[in-house]
Amino acid sequence: MTVPGILNTARTLGYYTRLQAVTANNLANASTDGFKAERVSAQSFAEAFPEALASIDMRQGTVRDTGRTFDLALEGDAFFVVRTPQGERLTRNGGFSMDINGFLINHDGDLVLGEEGPLHVRGHEVVVEDDGTVVVDGARADRLRLETVSDLGTLRKEGHGRLVATTPFAPVRNATVRQGALEDANVDPLLGTVDLIQIQRAYAANIEAMRAMDGVMSAVARDIGRVP
Amino acid sequence: MTPGLRTSASGMIAQQKRVDVIANNLANVNTTGFKRSRTHFEDLLYETIQGPRRSGTGAVVSPMQIGHGVRLNAITRIDTQGGAEITGRPLDIALEGEGFFQVEMPDGTIAYTRDGSFSLSDAGQLVTNSGQLLLPGIVLPPDTTNVTISETGMVSVTNPADGMALEIGRLELARFANPTGLLSLGGNLLAESDASGHVSVGFPGEDGFARVLQGALESSNVEIVQEMTDMIAAQRAYEINARAIRAAEDMMRSLDDLIR
Repeated sequence: MTVPGILNTARTLGYYTRLQAVTANNLANASTDGFKAERVSAQSFAEAFPEALASIDMRQGTVRDTGRTFDLALEGDAFFVVRTPQGERLTRNGGFSMDINGFLINHDGDLVLGEEGPLHVRGHEVVVEDDGTVVVDGARADRLRLETVSDLGTLRKEGHGRLVATTPFAPVRNATVRQGALEDANVDPLLGTVDLIQIQRAYAANIEAMRAMDGVMSAVARDIGRVP
Repeated sequence: MTPGLRTSASGMIAQQKRVDVIANNLANVNTTGFKRSRTHFEDLLYETIQGPRRSGTGAVVSPMQIGHGVRLNAITRIDTQGGAEITGRPLDIALEGEGFFQVEMPDGTIAYTRDGSFSLSDAGQLVTNSGQLLLPGIVLPPDTTNVTISETGMVSVTNPADGMALEIGRLELARFANPTGLLSLGGNLLAESDASGHVSVGFPGEDGFARVLQGALESSNVEIVQEMTDMIAAQRAYEINARAIRAAEDMMRSLDDLIR
Protein backbone atom coordinates (compact mmCIF):
# COMPACT_ATOMS: atom_id res chain seq x y z
CA MET A 1 0.00 0.00 0.00
CA THR A 2 1.56 3.33 -1.06
CA VAL A 3 0.68 6.37 0.94
CA PRO A 4 2.26 9.35 -0.84
CA GLY A 5 0.13 11.78 1.12
CA ILE A 6 1.58 10.94 4.50
CA LEU A 7 5.18 10.93 3.21
CA ASN A 8 4.74 14.29 1.52
CA THR A 9 3.32 15.70 4.73
CA ALA A 10 6.31 14.36 6.65
CA ARG A 11 8.66 16.11 4.19
CA THR A 12 6.62 19.27 4.64
CA LEU A 13 7.26 19.04 8.38
CA GLY A 14 10.99 18.88 7.56
CA TYR A 15 10.63 22.06 5.54
CA TYR A 16 8.99 23.91 8.42
CA THR A 17 11.62 22.62 10.87
CA ARG A 18 14.31 24.09 8.63
CA LEU A 19 12.38 27.35 8.33
CA GLN A 20 12.18 27.55 12.12
CA ALA A 21 15.94 26.96 12.46
CA VAL A 22 16.72 29.77 9.98
CA THR A 23 14.28 32.17 11.68
CA ALA A 24 15.77 31.32 15.08
CA ASN A 25 19.28 32.09 13.75
CA ASN A 26 18.13 35.41 12.28
CA LEU A 27 16.53 36.41 15.59
CA ALA A 28 19.55 35.27 17.62
CA ASN A 29 21.68 37.61 15.49
CA ALA A 30 19.38 40.63 15.74
CA SER A 31 22.15 42.50 17.64
CA THR A 32 25.07 41.32 15.49
CA ASP A 33 26.61 44.26 13.62
CA GLY A 34 26.65 43.87 9.84
CA PHE A 35 24.63 40.63 9.99
CA LYS A 36 22.57 39.79 6.91
CA ALA A 37 19.47 37.71 7.51
CA GLU A 38 18.67 34.59 5.56
CA ARG A 39 15.45 34.30 3.70
CA VAL A 40 13.85 30.98 2.94
CA SER A 41 11.51 30.57 0.06
CA ALA A 42 9.62 27.45 -0.86
CA GLN A 43 10.05 25.73 -4.15
CA SER A 44 7.45 23.14 -4.91
CA PHE A 45 9.06 19.76 -5.42
CA ALA A 46 7.14 17.55 -7.85
CA GLU A 47 4.15 19.67 -6.81
CA ALA A 48 3.82 17.54 -3.71
CA PHE A 49 5.79 19.21 -0.92
CA PRO A 50 7.81 22.42 -0.51
CA GLU A 51 11.60 22.37 -0.68
CA ALA A 52 13.50 25.08 1.18
CA LEU A 53 15.52 27.55 -0.89
CA ALA A 54 17.67 29.84 1.24
CA SER A 55 19.26 33.08 0.19
CA ILE A 56 21.01 35.89 2.01
CA ASP A 57 18.98 39.05 2.36
CA MET A 58 21.42 41.76 1.26
CA ARG A 59 19.27 44.73 2.15
CA GLN A 60 20.97 47.60 3.95
CA GLY A 61 20.84 47.54 7.74
CA THR A 62 20.23 50.72 9.72
CA VAL A 63 23.40 52.72 10.28
CA ARG A 64 23.70 53.91 13.88
CA ASP A 65 26.20 56.45 15.20
CA THR A 66 28.72 55.24 17.77
CA GLY A 67 31.28 58.05 17.70
CA ARG A 68 34.16 55.58 17.83
CA THR A 69 37.02 56.30 15.42
CA PHE A 70 37.44 52.74 14.19
CA ASP A 71 33.74 51.93 13.80
CA LEU A 72 32.99 51.98 10.08
CA ALA A 73 29.63 51.39 8.44
CA LEU A 74 29.05 50.68 4.77
CA GLU A 75 26.17 52.01 2.76
CA GLY A 76 25.68 50.40 -0.61
CA ASP A 77 26.61 47.10 -2.16
CA ALA A 78 30.27 46.73 -1.10
CA PHE A 79 32.10 44.72 1.56
CA PHE A 80 35.24 45.21 3.62
CA VAL A 81 38.02 42.72 2.91
CA VAL A 82 39.78 40.99 5.82
CA ARG A 83 42.73 38.62 5.72
CA THR A 84 42.01 35.46 7.71
CA PRO A 85 44.13 32.31 8.11
CA GLN A 86 41.78 30.71 5.55
CA GLY A 87 42.25 33.47 2.97
CA GLU A 88 40.58 36.75 2.10
CA ARG A 89 37.02 37.13 3.30
CA LEU A 90 34.31 39.73 2.87
CA THR A 91 32.43 41.29 5.77
CA ARG A 92 29.95 44.05 6.49
CA ASN A 93 30.88 44.22 10.16
CA GLY A 94 33.00 47.35 10.45
CA GLY A 95 33.65 47.23 14.21
CA PHE A 96 37.42 47.51 13.92
CA SER A 97 40.27 48.38 16.25
CA MET A 98 44.03 48.78 16.10
CA ASP A 99 46.54 46.10 17.00
CA ILE A 100 49.80 46.79 18.86
CA ASN A 101 51.66 47.24 15.56
CA GLY A 102 49.24 49.96 14.50
CA PHE A 103 47.34 47.94 11.90
CA LEU A 104 43.57 48.00 11.53
CA ILE A 105 42.03 44.70 12.67
CA ASN A 106 38.56 43.36 13.36
CA HIS A 107 37.48 41.91 16.70
CA ASP A 108 38.67 38.45 15.62
CA GLY A 109 42.17 39.85 15.05
CA ASP A 110 42.02 39.58 11.24
CA LEU A 111 43.80 42.33 9.32
CA VAL A 112 41.54 44.73 7.45
CA LEU A 113 42.93 45.28 3.97
CA GLY A 114 43.47 48.49 2.09
CA GLU A 115 44.27 48.72 -1.60
CA GLU A 116 47.98 48.40 -0.78
CA GLY A 117 47.62 45.68 1.86
CA PRO A 118 47.17 45.94 5.63
CA LEU A 119 46.24 49.44 6.77
CA HIS A 120 48.58 51.25 9.12
CA VAL A 121 46.45 53.64 11.16
CA ARG A 122 48.62 54.73 14.08
CA GLY A 123 48.34 58.43 14.67
CA HIS A 124 46.63 61.07 16.75
CA GLU A 125 43.84 61.66 14.28
CA VAL A 126 42.46 59.08 11.88
CA VAL A 127 39.86 60.20 9.38
CA VAL A 128 38.10 57.81 7.02
CA GLU A 129 36.49 59.64 4.12
CA ASP A 130 33.26 58.69 2.35
CA ASP A 131 35.07 56.80 -0.41
CA GLY A 132 37.18 54.82 2.08
CA THR A 133 40.32 56.96 1.88
CA VAL A 134 42.16 56.73 5.19
CA VAL A 135 43.90 59.92 6.35
CA VAL A 136 46.27 59.63 9.31
CA ASP A 137 47.42 62.92 10.88
CA GLY A 138 46.56 64.83 7.72
CA ALA A 139 48.42 62.55 5.30
CA ARG A 140 46.71 60.04 3.02
CA ALA A 141 47.67 56.54 4.20
CA ASP A 142 45.74 54.26 1.88
CA ARG A 143 42.21 53.52 0.80
CA LEU A 144 40.05 50.77 2.26
CA ARG A 145 39.67 47.93 -0.18
CA LEU A 146 35.99 47.56 -0.96
CA GLU A 147 34.80 44.65 -3.04
CA THR A 148 31.61 43.04 -4.18
CA VAL A 149 30.74 40.03 -6.31
CA SER A 150 28.74 39.92 -9.52
CA ASP A 151 26.13 37.60 -8.05
CA LEU A 152 25.46 38.28 -4.37
CA GLY A 153 23.40 35.09 -4.23
CA THR A 154 26.53 32.97 -4.46
CA LEU A 155 28.12 34.29 -1.26
CA ARG A 156 28.54 31.68 1.43
CA LYS A 157 28.47 32.49 5.14
CA GLU A 158 31.25 31.20 7.32
CA GLY A 159 30.34 32.53 10.76
CA HIS A 160 32.34 35.32 12.47
CA GLY A 161 30.43 37.73 10.22
CA ARG A 162 32.50 36.55 7.26
CA LEU A 163 31.36 35.79 3.75
CA VAL A 164 33.22 33.65 1.25
CA ALA A 165 33.14 34.73 -2.36
CA THR A 166 32.63 31.79 -4.69
CA THR A 167 32.53 33.94 -7.82
CA PRO A 168 35.06 36.61 -8.91
CA PHE A 169 35.00 40.12 -7.51
CA ALA A 170 33.11 42.74 -9.46
CA PRO A 171 33.55 46.52 -9.54
CA VAL A 172 31.85 48.39 -6.72
CA ARG A 173 29.23 50.75 -8.11
CA ASN A 174 28.00 52.66 -5.12
CA ALA A 175 29.44 52.46 -1.65
CA THR A 176 29.84 55.04 1.07
CA VAL A 177 31.93 54.54 4.18
CA ARG A 178 30.63 56.19 7.34
CA GLN A 179 33.13 56.68 10.12
CA GLY A 180 31.98 56.51 13.75
CA ALA A 181 29.00 54.36 12.88
CA LEU A 182 28.04 50.69 12.65
CA GLU A 183 25.54 48.87 10.49
CA ASP A 184 22.82 47.07 12.47
CA ALA A 185 21.70 43.59 11.51
CA ASN A 186 18.98 43.77 8.87
CA VAL A 187 16.76 41.48 10.94
CA ASP A 188 13.25 42.71 11.64
CA PRO A 189 12.38 41.21 15.05
CA LEU A 190 8.68 41.93 14.59
CA LEU A 191 8.45 40.13 11.25
CA GLY A 192 10.58 37.31 12.68
CA THR A 193 8.10 36.84 15.52
CA VAL A 194 5.19 36.77 13.09
CA ASP A 195 7.11 34.19 11.03
CA LEU A 196 7.58 32.05 14.13
CA ILE A 197 3.84 32.02 14.79
CA GLN A 198 3.04 31.14 11.19
CA ILE A 199 5.61 28.33 11.16
CA GLN A 200 4.22 26.97 14.39
CA ARG A 201 0.64 26.99 13.05
CA ALA A 202 1.57 25.50 9.69
CA TYR A 203 3.48 22.75 11.45
CA ALA A 204 0.50 21.98 13.68
CA ALA A 205 -1.83 21.94 10.67
CA ASN A 206 0.38 19.42 8.87
CA ILE A 207 0.46 17.26 11.97
CA GLU A 208 -3.35 17.33 11.95
CA ALA A 209 -3.33 16.31 8.28
CA MET A 210 -1.06 13.38 9.13
CA ARG A 211 -3.35 12.38 11.94
CA ALA A 212 -6.35 12.44 9.58
CA MET A 213 -4.53 10.31 7.00
CA ASP A 214 -3.43 7.95 9.71
CA GLY A 215 -7.07 7.64 10.75
CA VAL A 216 -8.12 6.80 7.20
CA MET A 217 -5.37 4.20 6.87
CA SER A 218 -6.17 2.56 10.16
CA ALA A 219 -9.85 2.42 9.19
CA VAL A 220 -8.86 0.83 5.89
CA ALA A 221 -6.63 -1.69 7.63
CA ARG A 222 -9.31 -2.48 10.17
CA ASP A 223 -12.46 -2.56 8.08
CA ILE A 224 -11.64 -3.57 4.52
CA GLY A 225 -11.86 -7.26 3.93
CA ARG A 226 -13.85 -7.84 7.07
CA VAL A 227 -16.90 -9.93 6.46
CA PRO A 228 -19.80 -8.22 8.11
CA MET B 1 16.47 17.57 14.27
CA THR B 2 15.63 20.11 16.94
CA PRO B 3 14.39 23.26 15.27
CA GLY B 4 16.88 25.85 16.43
CA LEU B 5 16.63 25.33 20.19
CA ARG B 6 20.32 25.90 20.87
CA THR B 7 20.39 28.73 18.34
CA SER B 8 17.75 30.62 20.29
CA ALA B 9 19.46 29.77 23.59
CA SER B 10 22.70 31.33 22.27
CA GLY B 11 20.68 34.44 21.45
CA MET B 12 19.36 34.64 25.01
CA ILE B 13 22.86 34.17 26.47
CA ALA B 14 24.27 36.91 24.23
CA GLN B 15 21.56 39.38 25.26
CA GLN B 16 22.14 38.48 28.92
CA LYS B 17 25.84 39.42 28.54
CA ARG B 18 24.82 42.64 26.82
CA VAL B 19 22.56 43.54 29.75
CA ASP B 20 25.43 42.76 32.16
CA VAL B 21 27.67 45.26 30.37
CA ILE B 22 24.92 47.91 30.17
CA ALA B 23 24.20 47.43 33.90
CA ASN B 24 27.86 48.02 34.72
CA ASN B 25 27.91 51.15 32.55
CA LEU B 26 24.82 52.50 34.29
CA ALA B 27 26.20 51.65 37.73
CA ASN B 28 29.26 53.75 36.91
CA VAL B 29 27.46 56.77 35.53
CA ASN B 30 28.95 58.93 38.30
CA THR B 31 32.38 57.27 38.49
CA THR B 32 35.18 59.74 37.78
CA GLY B 33 37.13 58.90 34.63
CA PHE B 34 35.01 55.81 33.87
CA LYS B 35 34.81 54.70 30.23
CA ARG B 36 31.74 52.84 29.05
CA SER B 37 32.02 49.42 27.43
CA ARG B 38 30.12 47.90 24.57
CA THR B 39 29.44 44.33 23.49
CA HIS B 40 30.10 43.03 19.98
CA PHE B 41 28.46 39.89 18.67
CA GLU B 42 29.16 37.64 15.73
CA ASP B 43 27.33 34.76 14.09
CA LEU B 44 28.38 31.18 14.80
CA LEU B 45 29.38 28.57 12.27
CA TYR B 46 27.06 27.63 9.45
CA GLU B 47 25.98 24.19 8.38
CA THR B 48 26.01 24.08 4.61
CA ILE B 49 23.21 21.82 3.49
CA GLN B 50 23.83 22.51 -0.15
CA GLY B 51 26.58 24.64 -1.70
CA PRO B 52 26.02 27.09 -4.54
CA ARG B 53 25.23 25.12 -7.69
CA ARG B 54 24.18 25.57 -11.26
CA SER B 55 20.63 24.74 -12.12
CA GLY B 56 19.58 23.05 -15.38
CA THR B 57 19.21 26.43 -17.08
CA GLY B 58 22.75 27.49 -16.05
CA ALA B 59 21.67 29.98 -13.43
CA VAL B 60 23.62 29.87 -10.17
CA VAL B 61 21.44 28.82 -7.26
CA SER B 62 22.22 30.26 -3.84
CA PRO B 63 23.79 27.96 -1.27
CA MET B 64 21.56 26.66 1.47
CA GLN B 65 22.98 27.19 4.93
CA ILE B 66 21.64 27.08 8.44
CA GLY B 67 23.32 29.14 11.11
CA HIS B 68 23.80 28.05 14.68
CA GLY B 69 23.29 31.26 16.57
CA VAL B 70 25.38 34.02 17.99
CA ARG B 71 28.25 34.53 20.40
CA LEU B 72 29.85 37.39 22.26
CA ASN B 73 32.91 38.36 20.26
CA ALA B 74 34.38 41.32 22.10
CA ILE B 75 33.70 43.84 24.82
CA THR B 76 35.42 47.08 23.95
CA ARG B 77 35.95 50.09 26.15
CA ILE B 78 34.91 53.28 24.40
CA ASP B 79 37.68 55.77 25.17
CA THR B 80 35.85 58.96 24.29
CA GLN B 81 36.46 62.05 26.39
CA GLY B 82 34.20 62.53 29.38
CA GLY B 83 32.99 66.00 30.32
CA ALA B 84 35.06 68.13 32.69
CA GLU B 85 33.24 68.74 35.94
CA ILE B 86 34.51 71.80 37.79
CA THR B 87 35.09 71.02 41.46
CA GLY B 88 37.39 73.87 42.50
CA ARG B 89 39.48 71.47 44.59
CA PRO B 90 43.16 72.21 43.89
CA LEU B 91 44.20 68.55 43.77
CA ASP B 92 41.46 67.48 41.34
CA ILE B 93 42.99 67.12 37.91
CA ALA B 94 41.10 66.34 34.70
CA LEU B 95 42.78 65.17 31.51
CA GLU B 96 41.65 66.58 28.19
CA GLY B 97 42.98 64.34 25.46
CA GLU B 98 45.06 61.22 25.28
CA GLY B 99 46.95 59.78 28.25
CA PHE B 100 46.71 58.29 31.71
CA PHE B 101 48.09 59.08 35.14
CA GLN B 102 50.54 56.48 36.42
CA VAL B 103 50.13 55.16 39.95
CA GLU B 104 52.15 52.68 41.95
CA MET B 105 50.34 49.57 43.15
CA PRO B 106 51.14 47.96 46.52
CA ASP B 107 53.07 45.19 44.71
CA GLY B 108 55.31 47.71 42.96
CA THR B 109 53.71 47.40 39.49
CA ILE B 110 52.35 50.43 37.70
CA ALA B 111 48.67 50.95 36.99
CA TYR B 112 47.04 53.63 34.86
CA THR B 113 44.00 55.80 35.54
CA ARG B 114 42.02 58.74 34.20
CA ASP B 115 40.67 59.47 37.68
CA GLY B 116 42.53 62.59 38.79
CA SER B 117 41.04 63.09 42.24
CA PHE B 118 44.23 63.18 44.26
CA SER B 119 44.90 63.99 47.87
CA LEU B 120 47.92 64.35 50.10
CA SER B 121 49.48 61.58 52.15
CA ASP B 122 50.93 62.26 55.61
CA ALA B 123 54.33 62.65 53.91
CA GLY B 124 52.96 65.32 51.56
CA GLN B 125 52.91 63.03 48.51
CA LEU B 126 50.15 63.11 45.90
CA VAL B 127 48.10 59.90 46.21
CA THR B 128 44.84 58.59 44.72
CA ASN B 129 41.70 58.21 46.80
CA SER B 130 42.67 54.62 47.54
CA GLY B 131 46.18 55.63 48.60
CA GLN B 132 48.26 54.64 45.56
CA LEU B 133 51.21 56.91 44.93
CA LEU B 134 51.15 59.11 41.82
CA LEU B 135 54.24 58.62 39.64
CA PRO B 136 56.62 60.35 39.27
CA GLY B 137 56.32 61.23 42.96
CA ILE B 138 55.40 64.82 43.71
CA VAL B 139 56.03 65.93 47.29
CA LEU B 140 54.63 69.14 48.64
CA PRO B 141 57.05 70.75 51.12
CA PRO B 142 55.50 71.32 54.58
CA ASP B 143 53.56 74.54 55.21
CA THR B 144 53.23 75.35 51.51
CA THR B 145 50.04 76.84 50.21
CA ASN B 146 48.42 77.58 46.88
CA VAL B 147 49.20 74.52 44.78
CA THR B 148 48.87 75.41 41.13
CA ILE B 149 49.14 73.01 38.24
CA SER B 150 49.57 74.46 34.77
CA GLU B 151 48.03 73.11 31.56
CA THR B 152 51.35 71.43 30.80
CA GLY B 153 51.48 69.73 34.19
CA MET B 154 53.95 72.03 35.97
CA VAL B 155 53.23 71.87 39.73
CA SER B 156 54.16 74.93 41.75
CA VAL B 157 53.51 76.09 45.31
CA THR B 158 53.89 79.33 47.20
CA ASN B 159 56.94 79.32 49.44
CA PRO B 160 55.74 80.35 52.91
CA ALA B 161 59.08 82.03 53.75
CA ASP B 162 59.20 84.60 50.94
CA GLY B 163 55.82 84.24 49.23
CA MET B 164 57.48 83.34 45.89
CA ALA B 165 56.25 80.63 43.54
CA LEU B 166 58.32 77.47 43.69
CA GLU B 167 58.25 74.75 41.02
CA ILE B 168 58.31 71.36 42.67
CA GLY B 169 57.79 68.95 39.80
CA ARG B 170 55.94 68.13 36.64
CA LEU B 171 53.21 65.59 36.01
CA GLU B 172 53.92 62.86 33.48
CA LEU B 173 51.36 60.94 31.50
CA ALA B 174 51.42 57.49 29.92
CA ARG B 175 50.11 56.52 26.52
CA PHE B 176 49.58 53.25 24.66
CA ALA B 177 49.46 52.22 21.03
CA ASN B 178 46.08 50.57 21.61
CA PRO B 179 44.51 51.97 24.80
CA THR B 180 41.35 49.87 24.35
CA GLY B 181 43.58 46.83 24.95
CA LEU B 182 44.30 47.89 28.54
CA LEU B 183 42.99 45.55 31.21
CA SER B 184 40.48 46.94 33.73
CA LEU B 185 41.54 46.20 37.29
CA GLY B 186 38.59 47.82 39.03
CA GLY B 187 39.07 50.77 41.33
CA ASN B 188 39.29 53.01 38.22
CA LEU B 189 42.63 51.40 37.41
CA LEU B 190 43.92 49.88 34.18
CA ALA B 191 46.94 47.67 33.55
CA GLU B 192 49.19 47.14 30.57
CA SER B 193 48.45 43.96 28.57
CA ASP B 194 49.68 42.19 25.45
CA ALA B 195 46.91 43.89 23.50
CA SER B 196 47.66 47.42 24.70
CA GLY B 197 51.29 47.48 23.57
CA HIS B 198 54.08 49.09 25.52
CA VAL B 199 53.75 52.27 27.47
CA SER B 200 55.28 55.53 26.31
CA VAL B 201 55.62 58.37 28.77
CA GLY B 202 55.59 62.11 28.14
CA PHE B 203 54.67 65.50 29.51
CA PRO B 204 51.13 66.91 29.36
CA GLY B 205 50.45 69.22 26.44
CA GLU B 206 53.37 67.90 24.39
CA ASP B 207 53.49 65.37 21.52
CA GLY B 208 49.75 64.85 21.54
CA PHE B 209 49.49 64.11 25.26
CA ALA B 210 46.46 65.45 27.08
CA ARG B 211 46.34 68.90 28.65
CA VAL B 212 45.59 68.98 32.36
CA LEU B 213 42.90 71.02 33.96
CA GLN B 214 43.26 71.81 37.64
CA GLY B 215 40.18 72.00 39.85
CA ALA B 216 38.15 69.70 37.64
CA LEU B 217 37.42 66.00 37.25
CA GLU B 218 36.67 64.04 34.12
CA SER B 219 33.18 62.64 34.48
CA SER B 220 32.11 59.23 33.21
CA ASN B 221 31.38 59.06 29.47
CA VAL B 222 28.23 56.99 30.06
CA GLU B 223 25.09 58.53 28.60
CA ILE B 224 22.04 57.32 30.45
CA VAL B 225 19.63 57.75 27.53
CA GLN B 226 21.79 55.64 25.24
CA GLU B 227 22.26 52.91 27.84
CA MET B 228 18.53 52.82 28.55
CA THR B 229 17.61 52.45 24.88
CA ASP B 230 20.23 49.69 24.55
CA MET B 231 18.73 48.04 27.60
CA ILE B 232 15.25 48.09 26.09
CA ALA B 233 16.59 46.65 22.81
CA ALA B 234 18.41 43.88 24.69
CA GLN B 235 15.32 43.05 26.72
CA ARG B 236 13.13 42.78 23.61
CA ALA B 237 15.70 40.66 21.79
CA TYR B 238 15.88 38.36 24.82
CA GLU B 239 12.10 37.94 24.80
CA ILE B 240 11.98 37.20 21.10
CA ASN B 241 14.62 34.47 21.46
CA ALA B 242 12.59 33.01 24.33
CA ARG B 243 9.57 33.14 22.03
CA ALA B 244 11.49 31.17 19.40
CA ILE B 245 12.31 28.51 21.99
CA ARG B 246 8.64 28.24 22.91
CA ALA B 247 7.71 27.88 19.23
CA ALA B 248 10.29 25.11 18.76
CA GLU B 249 9.08 23.35 21.86
CA ASP B 250 5.49 23.58 20.68
CA MET B 251 6.43 22.02 17.33
CA MET B 252 8.25 19.15 19.00
CA ARG B 253 5.36 18.55 21.37
CA SER B 254 2.78 18.36 18.60
CA LEU B 255 5.00 15.83 16.81
CA ASP B 256 5.31 13.90 20.03
CA ASP B 257 1.50 13.88 20.42
CA LEU B 258 1.13 12.37 16.96
CA ILE B 259 3.44 9.46 17.72
CA ARG B 260 1.73 8.73 20.98
